[in-house]
Amino acid sequence: MHYVMIGNGVAGITAALKIRERDRHARISVIGGESDYFFSRTALMYAFMDRMNPRDLEPYERKSYDAQRIERIRGWAAGLDANRKIVRLDDGREIAYDRLLLAGGSVPNRAPWAGLDTVRDGVVQFVSLQNLADCERLTPSTRQAVVAGGGLIGVELVECLVHHGVEVDFLVRDSWYWPVALNREEGAIVSDHIRHCGVRLHLEQEVDRVTAGADGRVSSVRTNKGVEFPCQLLGTCIGVRPAIDWLKSGAPGLALGRGIKVADDFRASLPDVWAAGDCAEFTRPDGGSLLEQIWYSAKRQGESAARAMLGDTAAYRPPLFYNSAKFFEIEYTTVGEVTRAPAGATTFFHRVPGKDASIRIVENEGAVVGVNLLGSRWNHKWFEKWIAERRSMAHVVANLHLAQFDVEFGRLALESVRAAFQSAERRAA
Amino acid sequence: MIKSGSAHSLLHDVKNRGISAWLLAAILTGFYLVLYFTEWLAVPARMIGLESKWTLYGLLYTLAVTAGGVHVIRKYRHNRYQVIRTCVVIFVQSVFAFSIPQMLKFLHQPEYYFSYFWPLKMDYLTPSYIFSLPLPYILYSFLGSALLVPLLGALFGKRWYCSWICGCGGLANTFGEPWRHLSDKSNASWRIERVTVHAVLGASLLLTAMLFISWGAGKTNPAIVQWTAGFQSFYGLMVSSMLAGVVGVGLYPLGGTRVWCRFFCPMAALLGLVQKVGRYRIAVKENMCISCGMCSKYCEMGIDVRSYAQANESFTRASCVGCGLCAEVCPRGVLRLENVRTQAPQQAALVQIEGIRADRRLV
Repeated sequence: MHYVMIGNGVAGITAALKIRERDRHARISVIGGESDYFFSRTALMYAFMDRMNPRDLEPYERKSYDAQRIERIRGWAAGLDANRKIVRLDDGREIAYDRLLLAGGSVPNRAPWAGLDTVRDGVVQFVSLQNLADCERLTPSTRQAVVAGGGLIGVELVECLVHHGVEVDFLVRDSWYWPVALNREEGAIVSDHIRHCGVRLHLEQEVDRVTAGADGRVSSVRTNKGVEFPCQLLGTCIGVRPAIDWLKSGAPGLALGRGIKVADDFRASLPDVWAAGDCAEFTRPDGGSLLEQIWYSAKRQGESAARAMLGDTAAYRPPLFYNSAKFFEIEYTTVGEVTRAPAGATTFFHRVPGKDASIRIVENEGAVVGVNLLGSRWNHKWFEKWIAERRSMAHVVANLHLAQFDVEFGRLALESVRAAFQSAERRAA
Repeated sequence: MIKSGSAHSLLHDVKNRGISAWLLAAILTGFYLVLYFTEWLAVPARMIGLESKWTLYGLLYTLAVTAGGVHVIRKYRHNRYQVIRTCVVIFVQSVFAFSIPQMLKFLHQPEYYFSYFWPLKMDYLTPSYIFSLPLPYILYSFLGSALLVPLLGALFGKRWYCSWICGCGGLANTFGEPWRHLSDKSNASWRIERVTVHAVLGASLLLTAMLFISWGAGKTNPAIVQWTAGFQSFYGLMVSSMLAGVVGVGLYPLGGTRVWCRFFCPMAALLGLVQKVGRYRIAVKENMCISCGMCSKYCEMGIDVRSYAQANESFTRASCVGCGLCAEVCPRGVLRLENVRTQAPQQAALVQIEGIRADRRLV
């Protein structure tokens, strides 16, 4: 039995290792075009900032793959022939498979800005090793940069550029930073912190037109408000989409939507083909589509897809949403539904005085449904438990200390949180 | 990518085994060779009114710990564990490992270092030496090594000593801060470490036993005295001078800061055994690791912390000195040092496959 994974990211490698754990004899191959070895994409910024070497980003020792008999094939997949059970690479090589996992991940969204077609250099993204190489090549000749896009990758790129002494204009189209995940007050805490770190953050502005200099390199950016920002580097961090372009013409018969359409056992529409990670598109019970595009989901899906490929029968159900991030120095944890909480939900929000720290708890029909936590460390498992047990906000506030995960001697003092909650309760009564 | 500017290039070079790092390693190694095997340093010591080269060394050591400590406190000022720990390190070095011994000498008392214990300081269970001291010193020495050290180790892990009190650890965590990431993280180095550190522990136990036998039965058996003296001077040369000093500190810029602590220190080995059955552990937050590897990179003991974190496995490693830097650098707050009553189900339950840790860590 030959298992082939397309994509050597976290979904593909996790699946490969999981299959090996269960099947000591199968032949397992992983095809990757970006790198010889699996690396942690989430740590690209640390390589850019010289906190790590590129090699340090690899989660497993290189000899692990030989020890696990996982064959690594460097190359980009270009076509899939499900009848002959063959994957064709862009250099013409053909790889035969018995069971195939499509785990090609995401690619950055294309920017729709005018003038971009005249720019030959200086526009970067920040999700791949090739992007990192571009950034490193351009940074020494960059005095001013514009980064467009108010999400996680944007703020990471901004932090790296600031580290290298580049003046950064950070354009965020929304009225506060990252409204998908943060409410206005939290957005303000993060915005203030980003500005405090020396970044010129511009809210409610997006790129309208990009101009290139005589050498073809980006020279300035004009925003929708008509403001002109001179720059030698433009970071486009406006989200990602499933990397399925090669499948559109290269895989006849494969059902595609925004991603690769899969059933809840990860099966794609072709026989013996599965998909997992950023590129897999599930159908929700209500008919809507579900794409999970974060590290944790890719790892989880890789593991579950491996089980499905091995023949286990279990329907994939995404667990309660959680995520974490870090904006310069401010750490962030979220669990459940916060910004997308149902109408009629009540919210308790408290900013800890004198700190870039806050707690938001959202309750609906007497049960907590989500939390947003900024500026201190929490064990999300406790919140998952309380949400699953449909605990009240009062219960969660009273037990917050259990979920604290700060360093020793550094625990966030909860007195102000509890006092604020009590006075909010009194007001409500 | 290295920050632009020649200062940053040099900094990168010295922190990442560049030419300047090799040069600095040569200077440090040379300094220790001169210190241990010549009397040259007695001259500058006398010039500034110090009675011996060892007093000068103590002064320089204390200055290095203090200057490095101030830098570390500034760097990690947002982290109270690091601030408090580093303050204690500076305090212990300047008071217990420098001022008090000097004062004792001045008062014609024995030059006793209250922050050192057997088997790091072999003298303190060497009967011919320790029984020559007044009773309080004898009691402190025996109770310290036999009771205090293991008890605190069981309660708080070896960190109470290795990264709060010990001078070697103190220098590593202050002056050595720029090189902490150089420790080798491979599985192979872990295997070597387990052999060497326990071999030195075995040698120190053997030597102590021989010292007691020769002290008790030496009068009737001069051969034992002779063997013991030979072994004692061999151990002193190899372990105390070469491994702790020349290799331990001299190789900071090449091998990282804890080469001595990790591969050779008998005290660390002993405390590591206690740690494995004690309450200390590093707790891992479930399914929150992004495998970035900052924890492994900045672990001075060469523990591949990431391999546990990405497998959702709370763990206790004998070598962990509890410096807390893995938790500090983790961008997702996944790690936390803890003292808990019950140990989490650990490595024992997992299948070990030779040559690969990755596999058995992958749930």
